[in-house]
Amino acid sequence: MSFSTFVTDKDGLQKLYEAIISKHETYAPVEKFGKYDYKKVSSLKECDPDSPIAMTMSVKPLFFPRASKIMKYEATSAGTSIHETGQDQLSGPRVILGVKHCDARGLQVLEAVNKWDYIDSDFLNRRANTVIFSKRCDKADTQCFCTSLDYDLENLDALDVAVVSGPGGKVYLQARTEKGENFLKENLGKESAAGSQQALDEMKKQYEAFAASFRLKMDYKDVNEKMSKRFDSTAYEEATRNCVSCNTCAFICPTCHCFKISDEKIKDTGVRYKSYDSCNNVYFTLEAGGHNPRPAKYRRWRQRSMHKFVYYKERFGVNLCVGCGHCAISCPVNISIFEVVNHVAAAPMEV
Amino acid sequence: MEEVKDKIVSIEKPELIAPPEWKPVIVGILCNWCSYAGSDLTGTSRTQYPPNIRIIRVPCSSRVDPWFIIKALQTTADGVLISGCHPGDCHYISGNYYARRRFLVTKELLKMVGFHEHRVQFSWVSAAEGAKFAQVVKKVTEDVVKLGPLHLYKKENFSK
Amino acid sequence: MDYSKQIQDIAAKLFAEGKIDVFVGYRMNGFDDNQVPVVINDPKEVPALVFTEKSVFNLSNYLKADHTRNKRVGLVVKGCDSRSLNLLLTESQVKRDNLYIIGIACEGVVDEKGQKMQNCIECIVPDAVVYDEMLGSPRGKKDYIVNADIAGLAVKGLVERREYFEEIFDNCIRCNACRHSCPLCYCAKCCIDQETATIYNGSNTASSAFHALMTWSLHLAGRCVDCRNCEKACPSHLPRIFCINRTRR
Repeated sequence: MSFSTFVTDKDGLQKLYEAIISKHETYAPVEKFGKYDYKKVSSLKECDPDSPIAMTMSVKPLFFPRASKIMKYEATSAGTSIHETGQDQLSGPRVILGVKHCDARGLQVLEAVNKWDYIDSDFLNRRANTVIFSKRCDKADTQCFCTSLDYDLENLDALDVAVVSGPGGKVYLQARTEKGENFLKENLGKESAAGSQQALDEMKKQYEAFAASFRLKMDYKDVNEKMSKRFDSTAYEEATRNCVSCNTCAFICPTCHCFKISDEKIKDTGVRYKSYDSCNNVYFTLEAGGHNPRPAKYRRWRQRSMHKFVYYKERFGVNLCVGCGHCAISCPVNISIFEVVNHVAAAPMEV
Repeated sequence: MEEVKDKIVSIEKPELIAPPEWKPVIVGILCNWCSYAGSDLTGTSRTQYPPNIRIIRVPCSSRVDPWFIIKALQTTADGVLISGCHPGDCHYISGNYYARRRFLVTKELLKMVGFHEHRVQFSWVSAAEGAKFAQVVKKVTEDVVKLGPLHLYKKENFSK
Repeated sequence: MDYSKQIQDIAAKLFAEGKIDVFVGYRMNGFDDNQVPVVINDPKEVPALVFTEKSVFNLSNYLKADHTRNKRVGLVVKGCDSRSLNLLLTESQVKRDNLYIIGIACEGVVDEKGQKMQNCIECIVPDAVVYDEMLGSPRGKKDYIVNADIAGLAVKGLVERREYFEEIFDNCIRCNACRHSCPLCYCAKCCIDQETATIYNGSNTASSAFHALMTWSLHLAGRCVDCRNCEKACPSHLPRIFCINRTRR
């Protein structure tokens, strides 16, 4: 099924954004301390949907918050009472502006694990109730490698509306899902001209220019295969020796989904929180008896890389890594998962 | 660095005015050897002092880790009073000197992030100064009443 | 300020004489002119070592890692790095006999945009204070400059300061990168690591960020050497140095 493409210009896009913000609960990248994070906005002035990829945090916290309450409990002499926190009250669809394609893909990838085993209805509800407006990057950042992974960036359906800037100040709004199509028709009105074949051609040409701007390129199938055979490779140790185990990579990754449960209590009442965890943390696998299966840094890195490129692929058929390069940008010592997996894949087989 | 003097009621969150039934909660962390005995003397000599203080007994004022203060302010307390032996009178020879140094830094930091300096107070009360203890508690309570309830950085006030 | 050649020579000599097992230095990251720290234990990798004004990360942080523990280490230190190293020595965390220190008379390092780091402008002791070998000509002590941002914040009212800091705590994602990249945070069990936290329970809420950052600041009060590894590591770019610097005495 193909969806329509609308053509407008920069002013038209601004007007559309303003209309959306006034009508719906809207989230967009807001700058704080030089870094963009997705926050609720009430006017277009506060936010910047064209935020640079390197400086923008992942959109994941809007679906899987950094800390969320699971339940409250109260211990009285009559017994313990538990209040589960219900699902969030969503009034109509919420809209997220300026999402990067790799980020949106991350949400799509996460859906698989949230539907598997335990069904995380919170995540799925939020996903169903959200209209994602993407902003396609014009140029790749130094650490991006999204085109090298197993998804078609040009026809990605993880997002609802793709915003692509074309030549001569033109802006194409391409619906990628039914939700996006309906939303666009509702908000744009009939008068905006639907794109012709020419528009699609122009978009394709632009995509090619964008794809050519990547510094990092790899063959993910080759990497998948080689990594699964090099579990005992010493290459992990060599590539990650300067890691400081700071957990940043997992906290800002658009697809990392490990969490921990913690109780915060005051006297007899308490709240149970679910918050992010990181497999690069030395305590991640520490068992109650004191045994730690992954005490060394390279073992934790091996787990992280294997999860991104091998284990998830085995179970759900897709790479967990989406190639956004956020981990490398935010890493205090600039370790890139791209470099690590390629170093491992290029390493000789252990005998 | 120049000191900032703020004298408005409830300076930290001016939009919040104390409800009439509000009573301050003050956490008093007292050293076992001087101040706790001092407060005991206040009780036995039947001196009246405000009932808003909740006393925690610690072996020495240097036992007070700064996060006791932070935790108290973040959960229920509107003010914190720490009290130890007079300088030179410490049961453990120099504990209260450590406490004093640590406390100065803590107070500076709390002031920096927006707590009024009267929220957290420090005093020296010996075991014989029952009347002084009553006075100190009275002063702290009055100061905190002037500032109003503490809403700053409370657990439930954070958006996340 | 380019000591790449000298450092390579010294490292090669140390490896050849068998004086060190590990060398900690910088190498180019391979695609632009920024550098990454590197821990090498093979003399073959020595030619990759560089040192220019882009060598930002504080290498004494690696002295608490497994790769260098109980080994003879050669490392490169700038002024601020040597101050933190000095503190580690004072607090008996590393043995002086195990170290071969190449001190740099630092002229200040620059960030990714090519601007001089703020702490380098304010640096009082740019020369390494502890070293076996000094590169460059010592620049001597400079006058103390009050950080303009901190001074500006200190004269503001309580309300403004509260708003400023609430924003910081709200934007903190609790990844603890600051604590892990701080060379002086060597505790095996840290009170602000979520898993070993003792008083608060380590959920990633803003209130625990407040608690953790405050406690962390207090633990570094008077010890912080102003290397700003924490600020460089922070993925949210939070200026948390305000907390610490204020408590320096």
